[in-house]
Amino acid sequence: MTTAVKQATEWTVQELKDHLDRGESFFLFDVRNRDEFSTWKIEARTKLPTLNVPYFEILEEGGKDDVVESVIAYAQAKLVSQLPTDKTILVVCAKGGTSALVAEGLRQIGYNAVNLAGGMKAWGDFYQIKSVVESPALSIYQISRPARGCLSYVIASQGEAAIVDPLRHIEHYLDFVKEKKLSIKLVLDTHGHADHISGGRALADRVNAPYYLHPYDAIHPIDVLPAKLSFEFLRDGQEFSIGSAKIKTIHIPGHTLGNVVYLVNEKYLLTGDSIFIESVARPDLGGRGETWAPLHYRSLERLLKLSDSTVILPGHFSQPKEANAQGLFMATLGELKAQNEGLQMVQRGEKAFVDYMLSSLPTFPPQYVDIKRVNAGLLNPDEEKASELELGKNICALAQAYRD
Amino acid sequence: MQFDRVLDVRGLACPMPIVKARQEINQLQVGQVLKVLSTDRGSVKDFQGWAQTAKNIQLLAQETEKENDKEIYVHYVKRVS
Repeated sequence: MTTAVKQATEWTVQELKDHLDRGESFFLFDVRNRDEFSTWKIEARTKLPTLNVPYFEILEEGGKDDVVESVIAYAQAKLVSQLPTDKTILVVCAKGGTSALVAEGLRQIGYNAVNLAGGMKAWGDFYQIKSVVESPALSIYQISRPARGCLSYVIASQGEAAIVDPLRHIEHYLDFVKEKKLSIKLVLDTHGHADHISGGRALADRVNAPYYLHPYDAIHPIDVLPAKLSFEFLRDGQEFSIGSAKIKTIHIPGHTLGNVVYLVNEKYLLTGDSIFIESVARPDLGGRGETWAPLHYRSLERLLKLSDSTVILPGHFSQPKEANAQGLFMATLGELKAQNEGLQMVQRGEKAFVDYMLSSLPTFPPQYVDIKRVNAGLLNPDEEKASELELGKNICALAQAYRD
Repeated sequence: MQFDRVLDVRGLACPMPIVKARQEINQLQVGQVLKVLSTDRGSVKDFQGWAQTAKNIQLLAQETEKENDKEIYVHYVKRVS
């Protein structure tokens, strides 16, 4: 007697993350249009075998009125040599509706095809929480949006918590502190973000905690207009206590004028957008790269004077392979001095660093100007618009990190 | 913009705007124009891509209209063969 094994017809974004974390190979079949695909796609630690055919080409060339029948006709005519028969094929579109029909068609002709439920929208909005250190005296959790390369942190001690750089979907932080029985005392932003909408003000409102930002970043650098949201003024050297943990603010202008990092118990450095794992932050998102690059140099030089054993916890990653074996994006300052191209340039002096910076600038995503407006309370987008502004992966680091 | 027929796919998600537009276009005479109303923001780029792929149509224009604070994406598609 044979037992029919019921094949999965879809993966949730959590299941996708589990497959990526386990390093399991699968075939990615992305049916979004070519622009969307080239701007942003699912990435693994090693390159995934991938095919992009926009769904309207499948419909048009498949030629049937019914979507599933078009998929079958198109696949049989054009994809036989391209789709694997020995691997799971993950079919992906923008929101998961079209890809479900494509996966259905492929299954009907014998492929092991699954749909990514919710599509790239759901993947972009997926959060993951991992512990960096965990004890009653000090816990630090890294909360990431893997698809966007955004990292945020919960610092906890004796039942109290500070949230650093909270991302837009604040319910993830609220659920997490509830589960860990923590009370949020403090919400901190490292700077006025350009690549994503901060959850800082909204989260602080929900838990009635103060929200801190450096006042220089409460002026939109391009509009030169003051923020229309309330915040507490951060200053260089300012210290906060969370339970028995101490958080010290260090002002490091360069990526923005009000950029800061937070040093926790003289050991963990939450670097926001300054030192990343593979590179350093870019100096030009305020529109003044040539003026800010020397500031950035002096700030990074100041951070390099900290102990080599300082644990760097960045605000972004560029590629999944930067994670350690536990899936955390962290390294000691000593390790990064030896590996990180940007920090190596800092060690070569100001001129070499500034030249390197200004010759390595990636494209300036136009929506970053609007995102800074949102973070200064100058623009209030609805959910759909907010989601669209945030689409894709952050480009806050220098271009060096993006070589394949 | 002149048109001969209207297709209202407001509220329908991808891929239905293009699936329905393909069916409608096949009902039109060569030279006639279909006006498509969609609430799917992704339809803007997708109609551009479809028009490049399909040999029998031409995308004449795209507009965004506001209706009760909701954006409507309008596409004018001409059957050319």
